[in-house]
Amino acid sequence: MLQIRPIISMLMRSKSGPILLLVQIILSVAIVANASFIITERVSLMSRESGIAESEVFDLDIYNFDDGMDPVSQTKRDIEIIRNLEGVKAATVSSMTPLSGGGWASNFSYGTSKEDRVDAANAPLYYGDEQMIATLGLKLIEGRNFYPDEVLTGGSELASLLIVSKAYAQETFGDESPIGKVMYRGEIGNQPMKIIGVVERLQGAWVDNNNLERGMIINVELAAAFNRILVRADEEAIVGLKEAIPAALHKENPNRVVRGFTTISEHRNIVYRDHELMATVLSMMVVLLLLITSLGLAGMVMFNIERRTKQIGTRRALGAKKRDIVSFFLVENYLICITGGVIGGLIAVQLGQQLMALYSLPKLELFYPIATVAGLLVLTTFAVIFPAQKAAKISPATATRSV
Amino acid sequence: MFFYYLDLAWRSIKKTPFLSLLMVLAISIGIGITITTLNVYKMASINPAGERSSQLFALRLMSQDNDTWERLTPQITYQDAYNLRKSTIPVRQTAMFRTGLAVQTEDPNFSPILEGVRVIDSDFFGLFEVPFVYGGPWDKQVDSEGGYKVVISEEINQKAFGGVNSVGKSILLNRKPYQVVGVTAQWNPSPKYYDVNNGAFNDSEQIFVPFSLAPIEEYESWGNNNSWRHEDIRTYSDKLASEMHWNQYWVELDTPAKQQEYQEWLSRYVEQQQRLGRFKHPEAHGDISDVDKWLKEHNVVPEDNKVLVGLSVLFLVVCLVNMLGLLLAKFLKRAPEVGVRRAIGASRLQIFSQHIVEVGVIGFCGGALGLLWAWGALYVLSSKFDLEQSLAQLDQSMWLIAPMIAVSAAIIAGLYPAWRICSTNPSIYLKSQ
Repeated sequence: MLQIRPIISMLMRSKSGPILLLVQIILSVAIVANASFIITERVSLMSRESGIAESEVFDLDIYNFDDGMDPVSQTKRDIEIIRNLEGVKAATVSSMTPLSGGGWASNFSYGTSKEDRVDAANAPLYYGDEQMIATLGLKLIEGRNFYPDEVLTGGSELASLLIVSKAYAQETFGDESPIGKVMYRGEIGNQPMKIIGVVERLQGAWVDNNNLERGMIINVELAAAFNRILVRADEEAIVGLKEAIPAALHKENPNRVVRGFTTISEHRNIVYRDHELMATVLSMMVVLLLLITSLGLAGMVMFNIERRTKQIGTRRALGAKKRDIVSFFLVENYLICITGGVIGGLIAVQLGQQLMALYSLPKLELFYPIATVAGLLVLTTFAVIFPAQKAAKISPATATRSV
Repeated sequence: MFFYYLDLAWRSIKKTPFLSLLMVLAISIGIGITITTLNVYKMASINPAGERSSQLFALRLMSQDNDTWERLTPQITYQDAYNLRKSTIPVRQTAMFRTGLAVQTEDPNFSPILEGVRVIDSDFFGLFEVPFVYGGPWDKQVDSEGGYKVVISEEINQKAFGGVNSVGKSILLNRKPYQVVGVTAQWNPSPKYYDVNNGAFNDSEQIFVPFSLAPIEEYESWGNNNSWRHEDIRTYSDKLASEMHWNQYWVELDTPAKQQEYQEWLSRYVEQQQRLGRFKHPEAHGDISDVDKWLKEHNVVPEDNKVLVGLSVLFLVVCLVNMLGLLLAKFLKRAPEVGVRRAIGASRLQIFSQHIVEVGVIGFCGGALGLLWAWGALYVLSSKFDLEQSLAQLDQSMWLIAPMIAVSAAIIAGLYPAWRICSTNPSIYLKSQ
């Protein structure tokens, strides 16, 4: 029924065409499988949730260059000014902006003595006040927030309380509740900080670092000449606040520069830009590659039909149905595709291993070459079926006429 | 003869417009993708130091304790930077870091702007060949004794002084008056190799102030501050005396002998510091890397780019195989015609070269169209992703490289079909006419 044997013997007779097609399919499978694997990997990186109300939160920098300025009282005044503006839902001084690619991170340890000291994983640090949770829109799932009188204004050495992300708590203490645990910076006994709360999710500033999910909040309102402030407001109010905030701050003290006003969503776009670029270029490549392969295939089939006009006519004269002619071309195509797909899949896995070794890409999953071959089978069906139907229309008379 | 073949090629292309178009399209898309990724790769990996690359060295010190960091870091401590400046071996040398200052002029209507500032020694300008429009670097004396001198860029000069020669005038940085001694012309090396901490492709600083002012003016560091141990740093002098890595250091050593001499001097420095109780790592040493090595070590060219170039070359191969198949189909269809030409006296070589010329023409068209694709792709990508200007522009060499790759690739693809057609026996085709 499927006439595989005569097709194979025919393919063996004029080898060059089918071999070229085979090579093309092998390479296509190898490229498409690896490219689509990288694409999905990048897309899944980009779709990780930050736990933050990204479109409602923006950051700004205040740089005071007034010599006589007292940072502590100035910072307290500034944050009050911003909070009292219309449209501002919450605001806090912060050591960094989420997803911005720059900020603070550190290592902590815990234990009772030098001997049983355990080092916890590196974590991104948000120094801020009791409004940090409200500003970022985080979800407190255990323990409590800072009380306003627990927040100190000044340098980072004032730190004493921590609110950690669930990811950090789980990585450090497993299923045990982290509430009440005391963490130290470096040596045991050095700058103790007690964990009082856990938030469900809080990402840090570096999206390519494995500390990303381990964000924590520390009870210090940093006060210096250069301060970063995070503000939460309704999306519609943000445009107006870009004008209102500098105006209000300059009215209080003109000797400063106020700049920034980038929302976390905008930071997200910037920080993931390289990944998005890679995914876009690769998608472009995959689409074009499939286009070229199927166009090339269609061209080849058309040429083959012209060359085999007599053969087709003879077969029709001998009783072959139109259906048989179409299925002949389709089976021929599937044979080449599957052979190419198997070899291409093997090469794809090899290529994936090379890429993995050279460029620290994760291991290629088998799903991708298999899906690529399946996709190619569908696509080539379309590329073959239209010229093949044209071929089926060849009248048997053509064959008898010129032999 | 060549022009006759060109004419023949054109006729043959016109005879099978669909197939020819397919071939041009295939090769042009392959070339377009390859040129796009190659261009981004090339622009990212350019060595901005040019021929001075082998004379400029970034300096690193392994000053940490054992069981802390295992590798050299791109920065050094302030105390080491301060000590290294005493060596007389380098032709030029500079310690530096990035900071930010509020800029004002004596004009009260000028609203203050915050600018990235580089804190440097006067050798910086000679070392990195920074061009000047007006004036020049400050005196060497300022490097040791301190002094409120500043070099500004043309851009700042435009904003603050309306573009006139401002040498001798004064500008306010954080409300302190600094005397302008020089105005630099446009200078923005890409990658920004002299400081890889703040992103290798961002803009260079517009204002330069003396390193010797750092302890007095307490400039904050706008870059990475890395500590390998916990230190209680509360004041600026704590920071200056700490083991924190936050300064960069570059030296110019013009001969191998000097490089050797400096290496030995560095080892003696490390030994001296070890006697003082620092540099406790068993592999403690000083390292100098020239620009080439420096760029490679810091992976200034992202690995993504290499993967893309690799995949796009494979893509081009697919396009060529595709073209090879189509060419074979096309040429073999013309076999009867070739049979006649052979019968009336055309040599195999003539038939062969005729077909190679035809393939070359297709390749050239594909290359030209491919350049257009590449230009369009770069334009779309750079507007969508806001790429740095330097990465997104089509490099001049690509105008030559693209058609060259296209034509030679097409000819390689055409060799087999051309050989097949010229080696067919004419009698077969003559018989069946």
